[in-house]
Amino acid sequence: MSEKKGYLTNREIRAIAKANAKQIKRLEAYKNRKAEESEFLTQMKDDSNILEIEDLHTYFFTEQGVVKAVNGVSYDVPKNKVVGVVGESGCGKSVTSMSVMRLIQGPAGQIVEGAMRFKAYDYQRDAKGNPVCDGDGKPVMEEKIYDIAKMPINEIHRIRGKQVAMIFQEPMTSLNPVFTIGEQLDEVTLLHVPNATKQMAKEKSEEMLRLVGIIPENVYSSFPHELSGGMRQRVMIAMALAAEPRLIIADEPTTALDVTIQAQILDLLQDIKTKIDGSILLITHDLGVIAEMADYVVVMYAGKVIEKGTVLEIFQDPKHPYTIGLQKSKPTMTLDDSTELYNIPGNVPNPVNMPQHCYFKERCAKCTAKCSGQYPGMVQVSPTHFVACHLYDGEEKHG
Amino acid sequence: MADKTVLNTTPYDDAAEQQKFLERRKKQMEEDFAKPFDPDCVLEVRHLRKTFPIKKTMMGKVTKELVAVDDISFKLKAGETLGIVGESGCGKTTAGRAILKLHQPTAGQIIFNGQDITHLKSRQMRSIRKQMQIIFQDPYSSLPPRSTVGGILSEPVQVHKIVPKNQTKQYVLELMERCGLRDYYYERYPHEFSGGQRQRICIARALAVNPKLIICDEPVSALDVSIQAQIINLLKQLQRDMNLAYVFISHDLSVVKFISDKIGVMYLGSMMEFGTKEDIFRNPLHPYTKALFSAVPNPDPTAKMERIKLEGDIPSPANPPKGCRFHTRCPYAKEVCKHVPPEYKQYEEGHFAACHLLDE
Repeated sequence: MSEKKGYLTNREIRAIAKANAKQIKRLEAYKNRKAEESEFLTQMKDDSNILEIEDLHTYFFTEQGVVKAVNGVSYDVPKNKVVGVVGESGCGKSVTSMSVMRLIQGPAGQIVEGAMRFKAYDYQRDAKGNPVCDGDGKPVMEEKIYDIAKMPINEIHRIRGKQVAMIFQEPMTSLNPVFTIGEQLDEVTLLHVPNATKQMAKEKSEEMLRLVGIIPENVYSSFPHELSGGMRQRVMIAMALAAEPRLIIADEPTTALDVTIQAQILDLLQDIKTKIDGSILLITHDLGVIAEMADYVVVMYAGKVIEKGTVLEIFQDPKHPYTIGLQKSKPTMTLDDSTELYNIPGNVPNPVNMPQHCYFKERCAKCTAKCSGQYPGMVQVSPTHFVACHLYDGEEKHG
Repeated sequence: MADKTVLNTTPYDDAAEQQKFLERRKKQMEEDFAKPFDPDCVLEVRHLRKTFPIKKTMMGKVTKELVAVDDISFKLKAGETLGIVGESGCGKTTAGRAILKLHQPTAGQIIFNGQDITHLKSRQMRSIRKQMQIIFQDPYSSLPPRSTVGGILSEPVQVHKIVPKNQTKQYVLELMERCGLRDYYYERYPHEFSGGQRQRICIARALAVNPKLIICDEPVSALDVSIQAQIINLLKQLQRDMNLAYVFISHDLSVVKFISDKIGVMYLGSMMEFGTKEDIFRNPLHPYTKALFSAVPNPDPTAKMERIKLEGDIPSPANPPKGCRFHTRCPYAKEVCKHVPPEYKQYEEGHFAACHLLDE
């Protein structure tokens, strides 16, 4: 435990504040700069992906020091697939998705480095940044690859809400209590479709409500407090779908719901994946939900990806001791309950002073002498299966 | 108009059926209340009912009430765990609090250790509180922020005079060790701990007075999976060592299955099914139990299971449906379910359920 935690002296606090202010000033200026489109256009590494996150670092500059919430995360979201990100609270899974949406709360939270390449389907723009129209006055669309990390914050509306939509964890608090469901849904269309009329927006909203299994007549003009949790989450999903996004980020979409309602929402998400031509990034701490929904799984621990692979690889042949422990410590319906439940001892290390060696070392049952050295790199154990653990250092033969 | 004709064609008279049901229940209650107390049981709950007023007239007369817990009964022996499962709003927490008399029950009997405690005054309850304790759901809001761990754990020991004053510290340190807390935590404050450690402090506080019964109200739902396993193991080990009885309230079926000996499934205030763990999991009788079990996601990507889908949401407990409370969502509901409340009956030895479909 934090035996030597101690308290900071005034001098240390001042030094931290000074260093933070310097960093924040630089990063805020970068975020708010004006930039030509060419600055944030890039190329995908693999054309079948819709999102590629590479070496992303998102830090929070706090009074106690720099919290590296996301510390070098890389994973890809292929087209028309569901990628599940799993990890315990505080492992950075939500911060990664918030970084993709550029919703990190500044000035303390900043994307420090890394690339997030997103394949967007956007308007062709002229030198001034206005959409180019063809002869009939319709905007010309083309496929563009944006680096979200490099985009200035005032250009983010090109993708946020439109190309990438988000379903938040708390359906109770993420709807605006003073507007009707209809008004909130219409807003999506009015903002993202050029020259949209109110009538068009209403039709679109009603279509979306039908898609998520709600009869629009009952709900369109009601307020959020009149709906149950499951219904609100359906409205959130309808809202995310209204702009026809290419990527939906679902951040713990069922955590606040009961199991029977959770089953309904998961069915709905499965159903929608086939109806729209897009991908889903599903973030959850529930391994059962991941096993049911995902094609690919990313396991995160303390701000790093420790294992990634297809869902079968992760569940049937987990490599990292943490992944193995996580699966064993979850009581399941089929488990023999006469034995003691497996548990991972200890806690997640303090996020301010992360050690140099593997973050899981103190809690790991299989740790070796090598584990006290450098943080382990990603080892490829099969074409799609990667693990960051020294136990598999010699096995990089498939790659 | 259309509705009226439909109602007229049904052979059931709702009001009369309700009346019949109430009379039958009243008779049952009188019979049960007259029975002697079971000496083996730490806790016996008979026809517990708790209502909350939601509408009053100007004179203070209650005109509308919300039935949070409606007629639940069970027995619990020392060293056993009763798991209560159900969705949010089904009254499981209210039931737990009514057992401790944190809510005064509206009707029914609570027999603790061979003594009827239902109508005891709060002064008389004080000595009994020593034997029954509660662990709350949220370890972040159930510890006083201005007391040290030592202070939190010493207070119940001093109030109930568990050990002589000069031995309090020694006693608390032993208690902390038993709950997996290091001795140097004695001087620390709750905010310095993580969720799992705080839950350990809550467990230590409950154990400080040597209770016989602990109500665990969702003790692990706010914790991460790996920490959850630590706390469940701790609870199980303490039960073995101290022969504790638990009432374990949770919405997580897999956790309840792991820790419980008996399971009660609640829906909208009523007990739908009750039995030993083996009975409930091997042979679930009630359609709600079956649906609840099938809704739990299975962490095995190759397993393809048949899921019983429940449509819609839980109806409001302020306005529960007539007849069987579950009929609005039940995939097998029949005409009789919509009008006649089902009887809570024993179908196997110690396995109770309330469903019309089982009578056929």
